[in-house]
Amino acid sequence: MKKVYEYPKSRAAFERACKIIPSGIYGHQGPAEGCYIPVEAFPLYSSRAQGSYLWDLDGNKFIDYMAAYGPNVLGYNDPDVDEAAARQRAISDCTTLPNPVMIDFADLLVETVNCADWAFFAKNGNDVTTCAVMTARAYTHRKKIVFFKGYYHGVSPWTQKIDYAGILEEDVANNLYVTWNDFDGLQEVFEQNKGEIACVIAQPYMHGNFADNELPARGFWQKVRKLCDDTGTVLIIDDVRAGFRLDIAGSDHYFGFKADLICFCKALANGYNVSALCGQEFLKNAVSSLSFTGSYWMSAVPFAAGIACIQKMKRLNCPQLLIDQGTKLKNGLIATALKYGYDLHVSGVPSLFYLRIADDPTLMLHQEWIAECVKRGVFFTNHHNHFINASLTDEDIEDTLEVADEAFSVIKERHS
Amino acid sequence: MDERTLAFINLHAVLGGLAKLCELDGECKKLIEGKEISIGISVKDGPEGTIRFSGGACTVTPGIERCDIKLPFSSCKKFNGLIDGTVTPIPSKGFTKIGFLLHEFTKLTDKLTEYLRPAEGALEDPQFFEISTTIMFHLILDAIAQIGDEDKVGRASASYIVDGDVRLAIEGGPEGYIHARDHVLTAVHTPTETPTSCMVFTSMRAARDLFDGKVNGVVCVGQGLVRMSGMISMVDNVNRILDRVSMYLA
Repeated sequence: MKKVYEYPKSRAAFERACKIIPSGIYGHQGPAEGCYIPVEAFPLYSSRAQGSYLWDLDGNKFIDYMAAYGPNVLGYNDPDVDEAAARQRAISDCTTLPNPVMIDFADLLVETVNCADWAFFAKNGNDVTTCAVMTARAYTHRKKIVFFKGYYHGVSPWTQKIDYAGILEEDVANNLYVTWNDFDGLQEVFEQNKGEIACVIAQPYMHGNFADNELPARGFWQKVRKLCDDTGTVLIIDDVRAGFRLDIAGSDHYFGFKADLICFCKALANGYNVSALCGQEFLKNAVSSLSFTGSYWMSAVPFAAGIACIQKMKRLNCPQLLIDQGTKLKNGLIATALKYGYDLHVSGVPSLFYLRIADDPTLMLHQEWIAECVKRGVFFTNHHNHFINASLTDEDIEDTLEVADEAFSVIKERHS
Repeated sequence: MDERTLAFINLHAVLGGLAKLCELDGECKKLIEGKEISIGISVKDGPEGTIRFSGGACTVTPGIERCDIKLPFSSCKKFNGLIDGTVTPIPSKGFTKIGFLLHEFTKLTDKLTEYLRPAEGALEDPQFFEISTTIMFHLILDAIAQIGDEDKVGRASASYIVDGDVRLAIEGGPEGYIHARDHVLTAVHTPTETPTSCMVFTSMRAARDLFDGKVNGVVCVGQGLVRMSGMISMVDNVNRILDRVSMYLA
């Protein structure tokens, strides 16, 4: 039997935080948006991390399948990336004039990413999705944006919905929504908004929350590509979440088409804060015309880290490694669930797997199972896709399956 | 804020609160004892509903068929004026029963106002606190449904709600649910056996503090004072509507 964790120090820290930080922990890493159900089953703060593991404030160790919601692609504290970052830090980081390491990083991205003729850097995924939409609007002189329902492209007002706090109707007035994989629906929207659509923005496949992730239908992307070409519409791939976990050359390349613009962030520099918008030559002048910058966008340390990260991902053939490890875990989890009579759905590409016990459509059973896993040292979430990192070993997968087994036995007994 | 949506809230949620008031407050219960009378409210380009007092209970239902007293309003704004005390209604039917409207009904609505807008210190009385919080809970449940069905932004939230029941409850207190079907929301004031998702307040105090805007819902989830489970996207969208409830009822 595994030890069942408790989190008194995390709880105390959270109470302290609530007094001085809105929501205590705001956003996706907080207990509300993070769907910590029940909240007592989850740690709230970490004390340290290494490789595939993180330790919470109470000293509990977890195999971390959220990987900081994606950035940890090689393993926490990867020695090669950290060494490159340290070397650059000793030279310069945030300075009046950018360090030429920025050019080296752009060079590497252009060489690596299939659709990239140039690279523009910022900090977060939201920076580059916003930059992409502004670029499309600047280039086409059109205002409307097509989204696929279930999307997530950041937190700027244009990415949010009319009913979100602080959002005006005007912020989302030019947003058009289409069902994922519904090419006829997309065509209809284009027909109804002739000459007005600046861009289609999409993740490479549907990895929305609370539902099985959905890959593109056969030929879907190729038809979307042609429609955009025929109508002079910019095709933006938001590869912030999936980038480098499917294909080192970009997820558009994985699915056999070429984006006009592609957004990267999470796995770009193994946790160092940098994001990149890459794109085709014809859009370079449009990006140049934007008034779009930030205080830390040309910091040199993350560029150095990004170079080391991409070089190492290439050496490891990282996307395939992650898919292989994800597949082992997927097969193991499905078999373990079956042992207890549960139908565990594992959807999406295995390097970004999404879990759902399909026996209960309300997800309550699934939430119970996830909670039992977390309390035994496997950090899964009940609402979001997970992330494999390159330091995950076969032994970690075995340990995970042991915990999953025990967690299934607990919920089976509870409901028998 | 949309006057039409406010009219629907005022009729079905605010005046809808009379039902719980007559059930929970002894004085009000006594006031309607033996009364068999109904008041129909008809708002042009707005809601229609009947407040019926019968068998010692009060119900508020849509439609105005067979009402004893009829109160017509030429606009939603006029009807909303009745609720905030700036408009005096003139019945078009039931003049012989106007005494009930002027006496018992006025006493009931005054009492309802006391519970919904408590005087300073009133909530220190545990019984008053419990009745007030219970009435408010049910009012909010009704308001969620009205906003989800009538308000433009509320309808956007409802459009993301999948079919099923969102259970709303206060531990040791009232409970009910929002039934969603084809993105149309209905408030039901009894427990559901088959919730698709749940939002449960762990105490009357926690619920009250949230209703009064003294605490933040996200913090309460983190502190375990509000518990969510099931299809969280439903709870999430109900919460977005809940934000608009406070705007309409402010």
